Amino acid sequence: MGASSADVGTAAGVETPTARPPAEARWRRLLPWAAGVLVLLACFGLQTQLYTGQERTVTTIFMFVALAQAWNIIGGFTGYASFGQVVFFGIGGYATATLMYHLQVNFWLALVVSGLAAAAFGALIGLPLLRLKGHYFAIATLGVAEGMREVVTNLPDITGGGAGITIPTVGAKASTPYLGNDGFYILFLVLAALAVLVGGLVSRSKFGFALRAINQDEDAAGSMGINTTRAKVTAFALSGFLVGLVGASYAFQQVTIFPERLFDVDITVLMVVMVVIGGSGTVLGPLLGAVALQYLSEYLRQHYTQMHTFILGAIIIVAVILLPQGVVNYAREAARTRQFSLLRNVRRYRL
Amino acid sequence: MTSFVQATLYGLLQGGLLALIAVGFSLVWGVMNVINLAHGAFVILGAYIAWELNSTLGLDPFLGMFVAAAVLFPVGYALQRGLINLVINAPVFITLLLTFGLDLLIVQGMNIAFTANYRSIPTSYAGKSLALGDVRIPLGRLLAFVVAVAVTLLLVAMVTRTRTGLSIMATGMDRGAARLMGIRARHVYALTFGLAVALAGMAGAMVGTVGTFNPAAAGGYTLLSFVIAVLGGLGNMYGALVGGLVIGLVEAWAGQYLSGTWVNALAFLVLVLVLLLRPSGLVGRAFYAARVEV
Amino acid sequence: MRLSTVLVVSSVCVLGLAGCGSKGSSQTEGDSNTLTLGAAVSLTGKLAREGALTKEGYELCRTKINEAGGVSVGGKKLMLAVQYQDDTSKPDTAAQLVEQFNDKGVKLILSSYGSANIEAQAAVVERNGQVMADSAGADDKIFEKGYRRTFAVLSPATEYAASIVKAIAELAKPKPRTVVFLSADDGFSKTVTEGGMAEAKEQGFTVLPPQYFPNGTSDVSSALTKVKGQQPDVIIGSVHLVEGIAIVKQAHELGVTPAGGFGETVAPPTPDFAKTRGGQAENVLGSSQWTETVTGQDKYFGTAKEYGDDIQAKFGHRPEYHNAEATAACLALALAVEKAGTTEPDKVRDALAGLDTESFFGRIKFDESGKNVSKPMSVIQIQNGKVVTVWPTEAAESKLVWPGIKQ
Repeated sequence: MGASSADVGTAAGVETPTARPPAEARWRRLLPWAAGVLVLLACFGLQTQLYTGQERTVTTIFMFVALAQAWNIIGGFTGYASFGQVVFFGIGGYATATLMYHLQVNFWLALVVSGLAAAAFGALIGLPLLRLKGHYFAIATLGVAEGMREVVTNLPDITGGGAGITIPTVGAKASTPYLGNDGFYILFLVLAALAVLVGGLVSRSKFGFALRAINQDEDAAGSMGINTTRAKVTAFALSGFLVGLVGASYAFQQVTIFPERLFDVDITVLMVVMVVIGGSGTVLGPLLGAVALQYLSEYLRQHYTQMHTFILGAIIIVAVILLPQGVVNYAREAARTRQFSLLRNVRRYRL
Repeated sequence: MTSFVQATLYGLLQGGLLALIAVGFSLVWGVMNVINLAHGAFVILGAYIAWELNSTLGLDPFLGMFVAAAVLFPVGYALQRGLINLVINAPVFITLLLTFGLDLLIVQGMNIAFTANYRSIPTSYAGKSLALGDVRIPLGRLLAFVVAVAVTLLLVAMVTRTRTGLSIMATGMDRGAARLMGIRARHVYALTFGLAVALAGMAGAMVGTVGTFNPAAAGGYTLLSFVIAVLGGLGNMYGALVGGLVIGLVEAWAGQYLSGTWVNALAFLVLVLVLLLRPSGLVGRAFYAARVEV
Repeated sequence: MRLSTVLVVSSVCVLGLAGCGSKGSSQTEGDSNTLTLGAAVSLTGKLAREGALTKEGYELCRTKINEAGGVSVGGKKLMLAVQYQDDTSKPDTAAQLVEQFNDKGVKLILSSYGSANIEAQAAVVERNGQVMADSAGADDKIFEKGYRRTFAVLSPATEYAASIVKAIAELAKPKPRTVVFLSADDGFSKTVTEGGMAEAKEQGFTVLPPQYFPNGTSDVSSALTKVKGQQPDVIIGSVHLVEGIAIVKQAHELGVTPAGGFGETVAPPTPDFAKTRGGQAENVLGSSQWTETVTGQDKYFGTAKEYGDDIQAKFGHRPEYHNAEATAACLALALAVEKAGTTEPDKVRDALAGLDTESFFGRIKFDESGKNVSKPMSVIQIQNGKVVTVWPTEAAESKLVWPGIKQ
């Protein structure tokens, strides 16, 4: 009895004598946000330095940062690795394209509607699909993505089918003037910032803890009182919303879109690669992974026109063997344990 | 009525070949929990080997497929032993990325070595077809079907009756327990992967006879293997056969009775439905989903 | 925490860099003795084969023109140089590469391969004030958007199947009655089918409903089984290489024998077709942008036959039409520069719009939308395993063999 009240006393009082004063703790918590804002400003400033081709490259980097962050929510935090994330990309893109083409809807309105449509789709199929676990969930989402592509290809009256659909950007039918390279740079930058923000908020919120709990042990999480179905579906829909926004913006940027590109399984794989190499389950990981990988593949493609895929494949293999937990997780652990050997990784994970 | 019979027959023949393409993929995933994204690349590699043998030595592809299998087996063994074994204990999508990188390497390697031209392995007899009334049975596809089914059945026999096969199954069920029983898991895994790659190569040789191929076709075969393996049940040879036949039939009937372009959509619809209603697959066993890894 | 510090430090550096210096205007072309063209071609990905052939065509153009001393621009001779980049067969990459060329000051562009890529490139070219010579994007849709800076040397998509129909109407005796189109479902093939069906109706054929199948499939058995019962006289395929091979192969397997024969787009002129299909390819008709019997010649490449010999000498194979159309695009651009007397894009654009010249590729003259409508497509037939031109009759090497299938 006495012990328990003492325990309660110590547990309830967060402020033990050795705790840091609250001001510094708050400042420490705010530091990543401040850093994020600084980076955002830096990117705005960067725009003035770039030529249009480089601008497009950086725009694509922002796009993948947003995609990777979105995937991280369902795949990294919750541990439900979705192989079909590109379905939201395609739904967002085609929703915008068809709205602008058939109904001359303003792009900004179409953007929001597309994001919501993707989220709704995520909630709808998430309910049955999230009952599956592990690989089965992955394959089911892949099946949904591929199936959606085929469905879109087979509705040529609405979506243009295999011939693609073109958003009107000139002439009477154009509802919104084309944003141009500068405009899209800013749009994708804002989307990337939004995705990182959402990722950060989720990471530090009760919702995020619920997701992590589901990742570690779903049954235990359920018995702790977490409504696992609601949490999972929300995560899936949220992730879908972000990806849908990106898809809508991409469609406007490309002007003419085709089903094979908007539902390309390569996009999902790239998302996953970026998150995993960066470090899944963290906020910084997908950011770094997206920037590094996109920049790397762009650089290789420009300078090694014949061999670039080959070299990229080799680099991915080496990176995955030496850093399977991703750069960010490795860095954090190495800083904590002061053990920097990469081969330790290999020894830990090999058979 | 004739067109229904024709479509059904075509679907079954195609299904048999699809089964052989997918069985290695299913084996690797079921036993080792490794998703081999480079599987389609190995299929195409087998096709190229058979093509080379045919064009330089005139070797019939139905014999060349054994050579392709024999060549690819040690390749698969070495890859597993030397590369994939390094990340087996890492979170499951690491192996996915590894095989993704491998896929990039192999496909691009083939692009450089063989160029992107479409190829096909011509045989004098594969183009002929037997006629049953109004219905035609192409000889090449029939042979491919027979070989595929025979090999799958042989595989089942090997796995259930020989010591090696049993050790593969045992390691797949519970690696820790298998090791305690004295089974060398590293070797068994490498053996499994080598076997899977050899089967892929064999299937590739037949794909080369029955259709046209080039390096870019690899991705399609990987995707197909995904669908069939899960449909049938992971790690299950009969499952791969059943899954292949089902997909073959679905595609053939869909092509016949709907507009030809809905074929793929239907295949994926079937996949998602099966996963929702019976996730362990049509013939699979539930324990693979709840496996304990040591 | 340490990572946040790293991030703060790096972003401060970036901000600092952003502050110093300024962007300046885009870089000027380096050497004033070279004329640099930008070419984003598909060196990897699903269009790698055709992309490689396109690059060969551009390369031959470059070496031949430089051997002749270069392009004469306003009294000076400029050597031709081509910068290559790989668009990995993806339209958005192709478009991005055109932007990057623009950054480097390369305003004259040689197109990629395939209507999807070129449609994406044309949009960028239009916005940036560049000029593009289109070597491989035939879909009429590209030219219905009001673009004024893209010029296609090849005949448009509507001609691909229509030319086969015209050849049959003109030369086939007895004249067949029913025609059915089997088509892939991508934009280009659908435009081809529409053009072919319109021409067939005009020529008085009975056109059965067309059958579609997924682009890139090697199994067209369901489409063939469906038309088998309708017993068409002629089967025309609006396809690419893979589906083209599949049609002939599976028709043979399934016992589909149209009374007249087969015609296909794209596939029959390629050497792979006759080689892989052997006897089954006999007497199949095909349409081609160019064959070695085309009449016309120009000062750089001579006649079509001489062009063929040059390709053989440099690359070790007889040319396919993808080679020729690429060289023709490069040639058109070079001639336009010569005609304009300057490399300024607007003047080159006007020179291209007004170009009217004979060449090894045929006549090159563009209408207001940028299409080359003054060059007919050639119709070929595979006779004794070789590709021979049978239409138009002025360029024909041999008479049409009809019916194509011996009953």
